[in-house]
Amino acid sequence: MQAMRQSQQVKRLQAIFRDPLLAVVLLLMVFFVTITIVLPLVAMVGESLSPEGLPLFERYLSNPVYQTILMNTLVLGTVVGIVGTLVGFLFAFVQVKLRVPFKRAMHIIALIPVISPPFAVATAAIVLFGRSGTISRGIFGVRYDIYGLDGLTLVMSLSFFTIAYLNLRGMMEALDPALDEAATNLGANKWRIFRTVTLPMLLPGIASSFLLLFVEALADLGNPLVMGGNYEVLATRVYVTIIGLYDTTGAAVLSIILLVPSLTVFLVQRYWINRISVVTVTGKPSGTPQTIDHPLVRWGLFGIVIFICGIIVLIYGTIIHGSFVRVPGVRWDFTLEHFDFVLNGIGAQAMRDTTALSALATPIAGLIGMVIAYLVVRKDFLGRNLLDFSTMMGIAVPGTIIGIGYILMFNSPIMIGDFTLIPKLTGGQGAFGGALAIILVYVIRSAPAALRTGTAALSQIDPSIEEASLSLGADNARTFRRITLPLIRPAFLAGLIYAFARSMTTISAIIFLTTPQTKIMTQQILNEVENGRYGNAFAYCVILIIIVMVAISVLYFIVGARTGAERRLEGGL
Amino acid sequence: MMNKKLMSLAGIVGGLLLVGAPAFAQDTLTVLCTPQEDWCVAMTAAFEEQTGIDTNYVRLSSGESLARIRAAADNPEFSVWWGGPADAFEAAAEEGLIEIYDSPNTEAIPENYRDEAGYWTGVYVGALGFCSNLDVLAELGVEAPTSWDDLLAPELEGFVAMAHPATSGTAFTAFWTVVTLNADALEAEEAGTGYDEDGAPTQAAVDNAFEYFAALNNNILQYTRSGSAPGSLAGQGEIAVAVIFSHDCTKLQLEGFDGILTTTFPEEGTGYEIGGMAIIANAPEAEAARLWYDWALTAEAQAIGPTVNSLQLPTNPDAPVSELAVDLTSITVVEYNFVAAGASRVAITERFDAEIATAPTE
Repeated sequence: MQAMRQSQQVKRLQAIFRDPLLAVVLLLMVFFVTITIVLPLVAMVGESLSPEGLPLFERYLSNPVYQTILMNTLVLGTVVGIVGTLVGFLFAFVQVKLRVPFKRAMHIIALIPVISPPFAVATAAIVLFGRSGTISRGIFGVRYDIYGLDGLTLVMSLSFFTIAYLNLRGMMEALDPALDEAATNLGANKWRIFRTVTLPMLLPGIASSFLLLFVEALADLGNPLVMGGNYEVLATRVYVTIIGLYDTTGAAVLSIILLVPSLTVFLVQRYWINRISVVTVTGKPSGTPQTIDHPLVRWGLFGIVIFICGIIVLIYGTIIHGSFVRVPGVRWDFTLEHFDFVLNGIGAQAMRDTTALSALATPIAGLIGMVIAYLVVRKDFLGRNLLDFSTMMGIAVPGTIIGIGYILMFNSPIMIGDFTLIPKLTGGQGAFGGALAIILVYVIRSAPAALRTGTAALSQIDPSIEEASLSLGADNARTFRRITLPLIRPAFLAGLIYAFARSMTTISAIIFLTTPQTKIMTQQILNEVENGRYGNAFAYCVILIIIVMVAISVLYFIVGARTGAERRLEGGL
Repeated sequence: MMNKKLMSLAGIVGGLLLVGAPAFAQDTLTVLCTPQEDWCVAMTAAFEEQTGIDTNYVRLSSGESLARIRAAADNPEFSVWWGGPADAFEAAAEEGLIEIYDSPNTEAIPENYRDEAGYWTGVYVGALGFCSNLDVLAELGVEAPTSWDDLLAPELEGFVAMAHPATSGTAFTAFWTVVTLNADALEAEEAGTGYDEDGAPTQAAVDNAFEYFAALNNNILQYTRSGSAPGSLAGQGEIAVAVIFSHDCTKLQLEGFDGILTTTFPEEGTGYEIGGMAIIANAPEAEAARLWYDWALTAEAQAIGPTVNSLQLPTNPDAPVSELAVDLTSITVVEYNFVAAGASRVAITERFDAEIATAPTE
């Protein structure tokens, strides 16, 4: 049996190698993923298991200080997971189940945090709700200590809840209203339906949202750096270990400790939740979802969501307003000096570099994601799941860990004999002044999202269309270009948009990789925030948001306008 | 169709790359810059204009700088290191990370502002102080601190900030100042207990300093990465007192926080920094680095600081002194042993990191 299966797999592999182009593409992808994702992680694991690294595990894990840090990290992940999922659930529920005004506006407001640079929300929150906050102190007259778990929960939940919202909204819309109707006919009231039908059906979505947020919160570096106070978490500890002590071994060990919960949760999310999921993605719901009309529920929930929207608008309003005043929170006189500083000073180079590097990484990430999705969904070969899984590691692993992996792996050239396989990538003497390493990190951080959207889109397209093209004489490449790619265009577009926005706003993965020659905006924002020049930081944020929005428009223009059906598909992602 | 669109995208991307591509000309210089960013910008721009050398810089705190040049010692990224307290330079010289350069312009600099062996030369001087928010102080009902012990007042719990000594030279200067004060106190009680034969503070003095900072930890809101950052926390009213260099407080006052922040000095004595400068060992652009070194010692180069509100005292006696700069003769300054400070730096920062900075406050 085993032998037969193996021989079948060999045959399938042979089928792939019959088309040389397909084989080359497959090998290229495997090569790329191995070099850019797998090797750095292996290097990091190797460093932590080295003779210098191994004893550190015991030292860290038995030290009460580090136990507290580990505990802080897990508590923060759990709290943010719960609060963020709850907020996302509320937004989704109001969108799908309630007949209330301003739905479109609420949807757009819920999407804003996706393109927001790091530090922006935390810094604005300090200006508004800090000890001398415009609201906490100015209106309520209290010196609220926002530094720590409570502040972090606020800013992280607001930054990440969009993931839960989109996830749960998609699921709620996919719920078959026939179930509600059946329950109603059997005499159940709305609360009972919610409790016994809706909620159980959504449980996998709720669980997976919680886990996604948990991982995001564990990996986040920007927010804890700005408003962690004495609440130290593993991500900031790893950062100080590298930046302050340049102890790569210690950092690698701490990274492994951070990696264990992140990876466990990722695996649970991927294999267990997906298995218990009862909602079919492909099934089109019949009829429109029933709405809930009880006024207390309807307007109560509406009020809560509007309140949260108000906070989001207030925070982003503070960012925009703050970029035009002398010292946000202290001196409110109008000035353009922050924009002058960013546009005509050091900011100009950071803007150019960051935009150029992101623009380079975006199509590469989109294409790699789509090609791997195509290979994984349409072709059968040995190690198919492994390729998919390895690509996903690019995002499942916290950014700081990727950064350390790159430092360890690419700080010297990789040679095979006298042949330089890969030149030195990191540091000022690295290839293209270190820019190549940053591009690669951008690519591997964004390709997983393109892979997922691509996989989802491809599984909804009947393979017989492609088979028809093949039997009409087109080869694999032509079929992919002329048939598959146009069909998954919306997914491709979504992948590109995500890739660009993610690259422009990422900090944790590239913070160890910036060099004198390449200045990155998020790094500059951190400098300004750390030196308390919030006005400059806000001006950077505003410009960054504008660049991302312009880029999205450009992408729409290049990749093509959407049809209604496509918009529907994209909205569900 | 798709293809053409992709091609045009590639074109746009390519164009952007050309604009954003770093220059790889022969005449380049990469400066490791430790003072505040706008001063780094002004200095490199002035140098570039004068020499035509394409000058880049990276701004890193002094602890980070030390860590970074140590990590890349075989293949240095930087050629010259400008600014930041001299004890970091002492530590770098000890480890062979910087090299001796006998600049013709060194003679203009007073002897007490430069290294005997010639590893580093001072480019500015500044004194450590307390930068306090007047409103917050009034509300907490405390006066602006005038001694190190004032910082321990229970009213200030969670209202004091300083940087982390591992990353910040400012914070390390503060630590070493307390070490020196403790050494003086021990020495006054019994000769030989405060200082050893070489004039370096004894372990007992260091232990006492750790005791002080363990107590202070209860009042600390946050240890920042960069030395000047606590000042703006004070300006924002997030804390009452920041332990920073007085010129950083003055800079904030000039940039929007006038009437909000006030500078005081500990009466028993405060530490000071000599902002150092050195050539990195095996510098990739040694020629340009030496040009920078010569230039940065001139009165003309040292006049640039005040134009960006950086009011450190110049070391070149011919450079103009801003009337806003601190007058070292009007405050008590400790006998700061830079050599001993540099030698103890690694041990102290690691111990601070393990015993104090990560310890949660009670």
